[in-house]
Amino acid sequence: MSRKPSDLVQGTLDMLILKTLALEPTHGYGISVRIEQISKGVFRLNAGSLFLAIQRLQRDGLIDGEWKATENNRRARYYVLTKKGRQRLSSETREWGRQAAAIARILEASWG
Amino acid sequence: MSLLRNLRSGLRSLFRKERVNRELEEELGEYLEMSADEKMKQGISRKEALRAVRLERGSVEVSKEIVRSGGWESTVETSWRDLLFAARMLRKSPGFTLVAMLSLALGIGGNTAVFSVMNTVLLRYLPLPNPQQLVFLRLPNGPPDGVGTTGDEDKSFSYPVFEALRKEHAVFSDLMAYMPLAVDKVAVRIGEDPEEAEGDMVSGNFFSGLGVSFTRGRGFALEDETAHASVVVLSYSYWTTRFGRSPSAIGQTINVKGVPFTVIGVTAQGFYGVEPASSTDFWIPLQNRFELTAWGEEPSLDTFYGAPKWWCIQLIGRLVPGVTESQAMAKLDPIFQSAALIGLGTPDPKEKKSILAFSSTQGIQDMRDAYQKPIQILLAMVGLVLAIACANVSTLLVARNATRAREFSVRIALGAGRGRLLRQTLTESFLLVAGGAAFGWMFAISGSRALAAWSGTEIPFVLDSRVLLFTLAISISCAIVFGLAPLRRAVSVPVGVTLKTSNATAYRDQGSSWSGKVVVASQMALCLILLVGSGLLVRSLRNYQTLPLGLRVDGLLVFGTDPFSVHSDEEKEHFYQNLLARLREASGVESATLVSHRLGSGWGWNSVWAIDGVEPQGSFSEIGMSANHVGPDFCHTLGIPILRGRDVTDVDARSAPKVVLVNEAFSERFFPKGDALGHSVTTISSTAVGKHKLENSFTIVGVIGDSKYKRVDEKSKPTLYFPFAQYTPIPNMQVELRTRGNPEALIPSVHAVLHGLDPNLPIQKPLTQRAQFDESYSQARLFARLSIFFGVIAVLLVATGLYGTLAYRVDRRTPEIGVRMALGAQRAQVLWLILRESLLVGGAAILAGVPVAIAGARLMRSMLFGVQPGDMISFLLALFGVILVALAASIIPALRAVRVDPLVALRYE
Repeated sequence: MSRKPSDLVQGTLDMLILKTLALEPTHGYGISVRIEQISKGVFRLNAGSLFLAIQRLQRDGLIDGEWKATENNRRARYYVLTKKGRQRLSSETREWGRQAAAIARILEASWG
Repeated sequence: MSLLRNLRSGLRSLFRKERVNRELEEELGEYLEMSADEKMKQGISRKEALRAVRLERGSVEVSKEIVRSGGWESTVETSWRDLLFAARMLRKSPGFTLVAMLSLALGIGGNTAVFSVMNTVLLRYLPLPNPQQLVFLRLPNGPPDGVGTTGDEDKSFSYPVFEALRKEHAVFSDLMAYMPLAVDKVAVRIGEDPEEAEGDMVSGNFFSGLGVSFTRGRGFALEDETAHASVVVLSYSYWTTRFGRSPSAIGQTINVKGVPFTVIGVTAQGFYGVEPASSTDFWIPLQNRFELTAWGEEPSLDTFYGAPKWWCIQLIGRLVPGVTESQAMAKLDPIFQSAALIGLGTPDPKEKKSILAFSSTQGIQDMRDAYQKPIQILLAMVGLVLAIACANVSTLLVARNATRAREFSVRIALGAGRGRLLRQTLTESFLLVAGGAAFGWMFAISGSRALAAWSGTEIPFVLDSRVLLFTLAISISCAIVFGLAPLRRAVSVPVGVTLKTSNATAYRDQGSSWSGKVVVASQMALCLILLVGSGLLVRSLRNYQTLPLGLRVDGLLVFGTDPFSVHSDEEKEHFYQNLLARLREASGVESATLVSHRLGSGWGWNSVWAIDGVEPQGSFSEIGMSANHVGPDFCHTLGIPILRGRDVTDVDARSAPKVVLVNEAFSERFFPKGDALGHSVTTISSTAVGKHKLENSFTIVGVIGDSKYKRVDEKSKPTLYFPFAQYTPIPNMQVELRTRGNPEALIPSVHAVLHGLDPNLPIQKPLTQRAQFDESYSQARLFARLSIFFGVIAVLLVATGLYGTLAYRVDRRTPEIGVRMALGAQRAQVLWLILRESLLVGGAAILAGVPVAIAGARLMRSMLFGVQPGDMISFLLALFGVILVALAASIIPALRAVRVDPLVALRYE
């Protein structure tokens, strides 16, 4: 791998996890694989920060977890988005869009 | 919702640690396995894959640590571990822990106790629903002229006024009336033996209007008032002390002045009546019987229930919510003014008009004026004690943490974070404060009880939430004040330096020794201020105690009587003659006499009498006289010297020629030539405004020495002593008995004599005359005792603080002393080296403390008696005390320094 995976912008990991789970309920490994795949390897999670974020989201009532068997006959905890989590995701996505657009406008501004 | 979930999840990881841990481990394990599975698809061996995954994603252990530290419960867990550690460390040095905690306990407890008194006297409301709606009704300039009053002129109303005002429902949702059955206590009998209790007659809405709840039974209804029902409600504390909280108290009979009443209820705990300074034992509805008059007044048509000119009713109203004081007054005043005139006829327009006013039910109004200043001074005193205590603990902690510098360095070197270290030391301070506060709270409970007893308030001081908050606030400020100061140094130790050098020489910088000295010096300055204050108060107390009273006070017993079944003067004279005759025969009684106003009780009889038929002219302060009804053998029994003429004797009966004794002050004021004997004194009775009639002439038959009458600190005043039966109507009398032995030993025989006369007669407030006089300066005594107490605490605290600091410094200087001695220093020189330091600190403290003490003493002027605020003796004693403390605290460390063996000391280097 030529480039080191980037650090996530502070506070965005929660949003990414919520988004991943909005697509499909999955387990911890599934989440990190999804994020890596979709970001084309830009973001790579280590286990500590991933499960810390999961614990936080769970305590805030945004996601729920349940032990299930995987397709490879392993046992894993599958996470599902709650109703509250869905609301949070949509509000955060909107907010993110606004901020990203604003930042982009600032960066693209030129004297002229 | 999410907070709850968070809490539940956190608690789960705290208390079901194993299970949560296992689950997390399993989940992480699976996660890494799955990553490894992925890697193995690219053809690497399983072992290689697992290694790569661990490098890339982090190992199970590290990840677990990260996840665990993310929840709030991990903070709780570390704090708990810190707490256990701190407790272990404190247990390892029990001496330090004990001294520190006790210092704090005294400081915190003293402050709490004094604050709780302040709370009760100045801040607290009655323990009733919506107490801020309750107001006392007052008459700031007294009732109209020409009415009968009780002595409580600014708070007593007539029946017509009460009846008129209680109808005004736009202002008062309820207006309650109450009046005591006696000035002090009233005779009651439950079963066989007579006793005394405090009872009030109240209107039917008294309990319902106030919102009093009941532990047992019920309160009164309006019908009980109109029917003057023979029912009684007990207070919780009377039910407890007298009936042992027995449920069978309901239905029992209580004889009040011989009239039977049936118990129908017990009020809730904490209700002591509406007068906060005294506690009422029972209540009965308003009565229309001659036996039961307001204030135990002599029964007559003028003092009977409903008499329009007898202003005896006290009123407390519950304002309708939203009504302001001025609105209420606008409505009430016209009603009051017209009702006030009922029974008086047409008023003279020049006469003063009574004004109606409200007074807050917060605090204790009557005590506020008397106690506000002393309480503030007390608060300042305990504040100083607390400051000293904090400084003390701070110095102790500095010393302790300094000796632990090596321990800290080792731990930092082993990788402990400075933040963690700081937290641990802070936890230790927190534990000290918590322990101190807990002890302090216990100390405060007993302290405030003692304060209540001393100040003569019957209500137990309540340690309520406001007091608790106050204690917490001062404890937290303590923790901040002394907790943080020493820690800064402890954790900023350069690790290398401490580890390299020997224990003894590690970081002895000039700065730290300076700050230590400053702390000790300011402690001693505070101690000096306290000692000056105590000295002044103690000398005031000495002045009270040694003041000549003008009579032989030891060996006298005084008690009151209330022969409520005896009414006419003839019967009364006979009753008291009979009583005296029987008492004189009782064993141990040397002589006996009577007085109408008990000496030293604060009560007195002031008026003006005409001399030889001429009314003296001048202001009341110039010509005002005191008087007392006295019994036969008055001078002989009390030990007052007879200067000229004779004592009152059995001959001076009601029908005999009227005579009077006068004191020396009277003789000097009105007969400067010393020829008072044989002249006459005449009562002046006012018939109508401005016209006086002279009647009842008394011949002066004796001039006797001046003696104290109402209180110890009064000046001599012209005083007349009338034979009790000759100055009618005959009031209730107090009995004075002289004995050779212990006056209190007479009480049982007095009981027997009274019982023989009338089984319903209690013995009222028996006291030695000495104790009775002591009561007249009880406030001064209270504050002197407290200040001695706080002074002693301050001295002890300063002594331990100074000792701790010095011992620690001598310890540090052991090598230096060793070197000095090895180089030939004499023991005396070494001794002087150590003592000089404490004397210097003491000198600085004196220089700083004396000006503050002088200023502080001025503020106390109003509490001093016969002592000037700049009293040299008090200051010298305080200075001497501080120097003595300095020397006493230094002597042990100094001697230890002298005993340093140079060889041993040097070997350590």
